[in-house]
Amino acid sequence: MAGLELIHSPLFALVVTLAAFQIAFWAYQRSQRFALLHPTISGAVLIAGTLTALGIEYPEFYQNIHWLNFLLGPVTVALAVPLYRQLHLLRDIATPLLITTFAGAAFACGSALILAWSLGATKTTLLSLTTKSITTPIAIVVTDDIGGIATVAVASVILTGIVGIVSIEWLFKKLNIQDDRLWGFCLGLAAHAIGTSRAFERSTVAGAFSSLALCLTGTVTAIFVPLAANWFAAL
Amino acid sequence: MLAGFLTLLGFQLIGEFLQRAFDLPLPGQVIGMLLLFIALMIRGSVPAQLEKGSQHLIDILPMLLMAPAAGVFFLGAGFADQWPGFIAAISAGTILTLIFCGLLLKFLTRRKRVNR
Repeated sequence: MAGLELIHSPLFALVVTLAAFQIAFWAYQRSQRFALLHPTISGAVLIAGTLTALGIEYPEFYQNIHWLNFLLGPVTVALAVPLYRQLHLLRDIATPLLITTFAGAAFACGSALILAWSLGATKTTLLSLTTKSITTPIAIVVTDDIGGIATVAVASVILTGIVGIVSIEWLFKKLNIQDDRLWGFCLGLAAHAIGTSRAFERSTVAGAFSSLALCLTGTVTAIFVPLAANWFAAL
Repeated sequence: MLAGFLTLLGFQLIGEFLQRAFDLPLPGQVIGMLLLFIALMIRGSVPAQLEKGSQHLIDILPMLLMAPAAGVFFLGAGFADQWPGFIAAISAGTILTLIFCGLLLKFLTRRKRVNR
């Protein structure tokens, strides 16, 4: 039938993406923000299902929707606004937070690399894992820069967020850490935006410290991962 | 709101330019973010338009990530042998990171209280 070829157009790709987002967001709200239904996950499942059902190749779809990635640039710049908003919270315990940011960002990246490497991951996979603990727009940009796979980077960021919010409650009870500032900061550092939305559910203070950690870790990782990758490449 | 977008794109453009001009190891967007952060500190407040534009963009962030995330299902056979390391790195790595950061921050803030 004439007209059906429209399923191969950028317009159709955009309609699928927006519709998937609406449905995913609605389901996430209805489920009271159930971690596994995070819009990025359920939306991705909906898109993958639609493509499979209609027999559309993923590379073709991605080509058609790729221009949306352009918006990740201004989103990254926009993160400066919440970071500036949280600045006053830093002053009280600035030094411990900064030390933890550097040590924690290095630990998040290093532990992932050692674990993956010891289980036989290739260089490309390793490069895509370096940004697992930072917020996705920065992760995609950095990963592209150092030669990783954007898709693997996004998957690792999302899965990291889920593991973080599923485990923190129990973990920090065991470690006897109940200070909202520490709770939020660690969650934001290890589990970025997904962790931050969970921290806001605990309290405003936890949420604010989580956003702060998200911005700091993102910045530190974005600065040092490309430097470290260049250095290793030169060895 | 458009004025806000203009500000964001303007800072990104400056960031991209500096990255190319000086061959910096940081992505241009990240340089743009740092520059905007410094500019906000100097100005001492966030313009309403910029606040609005940034919020709108940050709100649709999950949507921007869906298309790349869907690619996970289409990585194919070439990636099959990578999954064990990938899963281990993420689950164990993230839990270890939470423990490490929690204990470190607890230790650092406790010492500070003693110093006072």
